Amino acid sequence: MSIERTAPAILPVSTAGPSRDTRLEAEVVDLFDQFRDRLLRYLLAFGLAIPDAEEIIQEVFLSLFRHLQRGKSRANLRAWLFRVAHNQALKRRQRNRRDPESLAADGIAVDPTPNPEDQALSTQTHRRLLAVVRALPEQDRRCLALRTEGLRYREIAGVLDMSLGAVSISIARSLARLTRATER
Amino acid sequence: MSYEKHPSDEQLILDLDGELSARQSRRLRAHLESCWTCRTRRQELENSIAELIRARRDEELPSADGPQALLKARLDQLPAPPPRIPIWALAGAATALIALAILAIRVLPSRRPVVHQAAIFSIPDSRLTPGAAVLLNRRSVCSAENTKNKTVPVALQRQVFANYGIPGAEPREYEVDYLITPALGGADDIHNLWPQSHSATVWNAEVKDALEDRLRQMVCEGQLDLSEAQREIAVNWVAAYKKYFHTDAPLPQHRQ
Ligand SMILES: [Zn+2]
Repeated sequence: MSIERTAPAILPVSTAGPSRDTRLEAEVVDLFDQFRDRLLRYLLAFGLAIPDAEEIIQEVFLSLFRHLQRGKSRANLRAWLFRVAHNQALKRRQRNRRDPESLAADGIAVDPTPNPEDQALSTQTHRRLLAVVRALPEQDRRCLALRTEGLRYREIAGVLDMSLGAVSISIARSLARLTRATER
Repeated sequence: MSYEKHPSDEQLILDLDGELSARQSRRLRAHLESCWTCRTRRQELENSIAELIRARRDEELPSADGPQALLKARLDQLPAPPPRIPIWALAGAATALIALAILAIRVLPSRRPVVHQAAIFSIPDSRLTPGAAVLLNRRSVCSAENTKNKTVPVALQRQVFANYGIPGAEPREYEVDYLITPALGGADDIHNLWPQSHSATVWNAEVKDALEDRLRQMVCEGQLDLSEAQREIAVNWVAAYKKYFHTDAPLPQHRQ
């Protein structure tokens, strides 16, 4: 039997209240559209499970809204988003460690090996690269993940609270491993 | 003037971001011009990053639609910013607050514990759960068994709880239920699932079951279009119940 997937039967019903700070809301939603995938990839590289990561992202953008509402600085919101997400992720992991039930769930995502279908899609090189990344020390993995999401080295230093020199050493170390993996 | 020895990978990396001093950068470039080994090395570093970016982009992520809808809903619910208050009013307010605080200390024996307030969802949030259907025609729906209590995969359940902002929800507080029942062609899709709370006493799962049976019967007897049944249950199942059972409250035989 062929099963046809249809669009949702119904369009969402608008229940929004009177407009309030709608321009700011639109701006935050716009930033969400730009950065959600990047933040999610970073948080998954961090070792969080998808529901936890999605929840952190919600918190990040609600904080962003309050941050902008209070008229705080708009300078480099990109680095701001990643820094807040990173700090929330650290907190979340601490909490999960205290709570053994979610620890098990957390463990699932620590090794995000792609499923067989994904493997068929990605090239062999990509698979090998991602395997090398998974084997990197945690801090190196974070530096590299932030770089691949488009942050400058100086921004990475700010997010991870490291010196610029330490970031460049970490990235150089990881890239050396990646280069060896692609040459083979 | 060029380097005595080859620059380190770190220097090459920092130069790519323009983080070397003007003098360091000039020396590095001069060296690169005369050293093909380092030029190749720099190219390799750039290639590795580019390749990794492509590999990352290939990994599939869950759709952003649900989370985006959730964010909009939450932004709508945020309280308005506090109005700006003149300083003289603040001083008065502060005095009043101190008085209140003293009163509170006297009146309340101890701080009340924070009670986890379980939200009750009688009708799902239409932005998170608009409803989604898989089977189009009446025949395939009516020839299939009237599937009841089909269980939702645990991973999907977790996602539903997370989307509704109750990530730590206990299964005994909520049951993740299909908005459009699979017996009416409802899909195993995040947009068709919602956390129905067991604390809902009036419009609860049993009452919804009764409506689903009624609608399915009407669809299969040709009294109602399948798409119309799906639409009504998705828009507001409580309103649909009232309409099809001609009542404002659940009928006694449907309550448990
Ligand atoms: Zn050289």
